[in-house]
Amino acid sequence: MAKLIRIAGYSAIGLTIPTGLMRDRIELVKTVFEEAGLETALRIDLTASSRMDLLRLLRRFRNSYDVIAVKCTNQRVATVACRDRRVDLIIFDPTSRSVRFSHPLANLLRGAIEFNLVSSLLKETRTDVFSGIVKQCAIAREHKVKVVLSSGCNRPDQVRSPLQIAALASVMGLSETQSHAGVSATPLSIIKRNLAHRSPQFVEEGVRVVLPKVA
Amino acid sequence: MSKRYLLIKLASDKPLSRDQFRIALTDSVRRNFGEIGLSRIDPKVVRYDGTGSRAIVACRAGTANELQAAVALISEALGTPIVPLVVGVSGTIKALGKRRPR
Repeated sequence: MAKLIRIAGYSAIGLTIPTGLMRDRIELVKTVFEEAGLETALRIDLTASSRMDLLRLLRRFRNSYDVIAVKCTNQRVATVACRDRRVDLIIFDPTSRSVRFSHPLANLLRGAIEFNLVSSLLKETRTDVFSGIVKQCAIAREHKVKVVLSSGCNRPDQVRSPLQIAALASVMGLSETQSHAGVSATPLSIIKRNLAHRSPQFVEEGVRVVLPKVA
Repeated sequence: MSKRYLLIKLASDKPLSRDQFRIALTDSVRRNFGEIGLSRIDPKVVRYDGTGSRAIVACRAGTANELQAAVALISEALGTPIVPLVVGVSGTIKALGKRRPR
């Protein structure tokens, strides 16, 4: 799978790691991808049932992962996830009737919205998935929110190239600029920002330790 | 009418014939964009290398995104699971030929 991802044209990937996985197993997974020439960023997909639950999970995991994504399962969780600056990505299930990406949420959003295009669209029943993603794309385009496009693959047969994912998003209604940034600039900026935050030199937003250069 | 050419790398367990790939491609375009979309995109397999699993597909200029999306949504060709990866898009076949595989 790592080789296929490299052939597809990726230089870095986000690995979604289960919370209970041992550190040595995580390093082993990272090594597999790094040996294929891919940079890796650890990410976690948080699923919370309530506002307090989400805040507790964010406190616990923010400093351990490079990217934090939140699956919005209800309206309250979605509102907190959009507003909280510790959240990098929010994910909506396009077929969910209980919560959907709306104009008020797009106004609140500080991070970026993620679309898992390939894994959603390769399912058998996908008309409602298409429709849900098209609606989300229209709102994202209107409010010019940051978008991250992902294949969401967990099997080698779901791997697609960044060109294809950008093209899919473009067909779904995102602008060319948004869809190309969604597979390149936006995810890269999120990872760079979070790596800077996790470095020992970082003190707080706008403040970092600068050591004098040795002559 | 000007054209765009897509360089597609195919990964599959079994080798795929040109016809199998052509049918899978046409089916995917028809399923996702309909008959009118198919005639507008007008996909044609220009070159096919079964051993190297590379194909060059032509489409009308301005429809490359649609064709790439349709290719992304192919998951099998006549029962054989395949992973089609678009690794380059160009206005000429010559320019695609210069691209080195990773």
